[in-house]
Amino acid sequence: MSERYSLELWVEKYRPRRLDEMVDQREIVERLKEFVREKNVPHLLFVGPPGTGKTTAALCLAYELYGEKWRDNTLELNASDERGIDVIRTRIKEYARTVPLSEVPFKLIILDEADNMTGDAQQALRRTMELYSRTARFILIANYASKIIEPIQSRCAIFRFQPIPKEDFIARLRYIAESEGVKVTEDGLEAIWEESMGDMRKAINALQAAAAIGEVVDADTVYKALGKVTPTEIRDMIKLALGGNFLAAREKLRALLYSYGLSGVDVIKLVYREVTSARSGLDLDERTRLELVELLGELNYRIVEGADDEIQLNALLAKMALIGAKRGRA
Amino acid sequence: MSIVPWTEKYRPKRIDEVVGNPEAKKAFVAWLNKWLAGRPEKKAALLYGPPGCGKTSLVHAAAHQLGLELIEANASDVRTSEALRRRVLRSATEGSLFGARGKIILLDEVDGVSPREDRGGLDMIMEIIKASQYPVVLTANDPWDPRLRQLRSMCKLIEFRKLGIRDVVRALREICRREGIECDYSVLRAIAGNCEGDLRAAINDLQSIAMGRRRVTLEDLEVLGYRARQMNMFEVVRQVLTAKRPEAAKAVLSMPSLDYEMLMQWLNENIPYQYSPSIVAIADAYDALSRADMMLGRIKRRQAWTLLPYALDLMTAGVASAREKPPFKFVKYSFPYKLRALSATKEQRDERMRIARVIAKTCHTSARKALTEILPFLKLIYEENPQAGRKLLKGLGISESKFAKALGLHVHTVRPSARARRARA
Repeated sequence: MSERYSLELWVEKYRPRRLDEMVDQREIVERLKEFVREKNVPHLLFVGPPGTGKTTAALCLAYELYGEKWRDNTLELNASDERGIDVIRTRIKEYARTVPLSEVPFKLIILDEADNMTGDAQQALRRTMELYSRTARFILIANYASKIIEPIQSRCAIFRFQPIPKEDFIARLRYIAESEGVKVTEDGLEAIWEESMGDMRKAINALQAAAAIGEVVDADTVYKALGKVTPTEIRDMIKLALGGNFLAAREKLRALLYSYGLSGVDVIKLVYREVTSARSGLDLDERTRLELVELLGELNYRIVEGADDEIQLNALLAKMALIGAKRGRA
Repeated sequence: MSIVPWTEKYRPKRIDEVVGNPEAKKAFVAWLNKWLAGRPEKKAALLYGPPGCGKTSLVHAAAHQLGLELIEANASDVRTSEALRRRVLRSATEGSLFGARGKIILLDEVDGVSPREDRGGLDMIMEIIKASQYPVVLTANDPWDPRLRQLRSMCKLIEFRKLGIRDVVRALREICRREGIECDYSVLRAIAGNCEGDLRAAINDLQSIAMGRRRVTLEDLEVLGYRARQMNMFEVVRQVLTAKRPEAAKAVLSMPSLDYEMLMQWLNENIPYQYSPSIVAIADAYDALSRADMMLGRIKRRQAWTLLPYALDLMTAGVASAREKPPFKFVKYSFPYKLRALSATKEQRDERMRIARVIAKTCHTSARKALTEILPFLKLIYEENPQAGRKLLKGLGISESKFAKALGLHVHTVRPSARARRARA
């Protein structure tokens, strides 16, 4: 019985290893295969929304270039975790200046979430890219090209990843379900597609979670799983704030920030999802809903600009209480 | 290898590098200029004020900048009249040795001259002032000691005040920059707050914590048993929140050691207690606080210190300008929850982060994304289907008990899934 449970998260288990296995992104894959044939890769910048295969493409490229020894010739860094100038100065330089261990005359440095790098670090990176371009090639991965400084962009070949078309997306999910022996219905797949908004990683996680809950993955189990993944505090907090109970709402907020360890932007995103979801049971009229959306946008901006997430989110809750009171009077 | 104290290494070389006390600086320079022009109004100046506020540094900087030879005797030297005569009186009446433009005679900490051990010391100081051909500068912490009365009358008195926390932080930051140390802003503030405006003490503390490191965090500070001084914020908060006019709230800014980031936390905590039940007042006050916080964020990220006055204005007058404030009531204020919570839940958060990092490594993503996008699914699978969950944890190399603890789950009370129950039946 227990063989039916996987040791691996499906997102990893079903991550394509070879370029040919990638879902969609045909033109990009063709170009990358060209690089492999030539055994020459320029610096690359992969740009596109989350879950469209950027990291996978980089890993596939590494595998195609170096085969089983790809790990010895690839340095993977995530700029969100190591965003300082120090990483550029030390780890990348140290790695970049040693000679590669294969017939390919350069090593690969994959810098994921590069749009989270500080400006200083990007400046340092730009010099490093030039200095070591004989022994190392960079693949920078980002959601937005605009957050990468111009001089780096101009040193890279830029690949723009498009959202995966619905048919390919659903076909992939169905393939995974079949391989895992999970029964999945059409409306179940439809629900995952809708809720994950084109993000393959989210979709596969949702599929695995739904499969853990029920015998059959249908729309119900999918929504149930996704509902449980969102902390209950989010919905409670929204209801309390709109009902004018600021202090109780603040308490929920604090649980999210200090026990769950969510960031301010995480909270805003989750609130936004609830406010715009038809299934949240918040029962908002369209005018109120739009007012909230505008408020969330403003507060998202303030959190990014500001210093203290809790202060900004308390300002949000207080404004929500005002909006709620107005609605009550109307 | 001997270690140069940073208090010496970074002693200002120019008058404008001396931190704080602009009036005192101006008065001192004016007095010195008259001397150099040959028309001293008083032959000596007595600089007085609390320790570490820049008295001695100002004299050093002036001597350096103006090319004057500095003759110095401080409290650690013996100050009997005989010792003073030998060491100071001679050079106060002779030409300069090195062809410098002139000299400054500096007698540090004259209130420390002991009437018994330094017999005749004070008399000798007065004799030096009378005979000196050069400016004489005395410093003291407490100039109002009756024994100094006669000496006082011969001096131009220049008062130095305790340095503000902002000045101290700025000076510390500059040192960190020059030492190539990355030091969290919160650390600098904690050090500055603890030293009560004594820059010398602050620099010494900084050196003992930061030397030989490249990065200093608040945790390092706590490891060393260093605790930020807890200000009595109650009165400050009350003054801001119950101010009848915005200017009255703004008046708290004149307190020299006001820690404005701490004030932000206290206001964040207590606004709803003071202003409920008026939702309008709460929302207005938080809006002002939120705007102030944006300014502080920009200051932090871009060193945009010119924005500080706006932030300070918003967090005081801005908050107090809330509409529809309820009538005054006495409220017992609370200590900011965040400051407590962050230390109380630290262990759990750290453990979550460790797990997130493990996941991030396997899943080629950031710890942040692992925390928000993968961990919740893993938790759900573990709760709903422990067998499947355990297997995944094993595959990731995460211990089940640590996982359960970090997510606030109980290992033994996990209910079996419907599927597992059916399998058993």
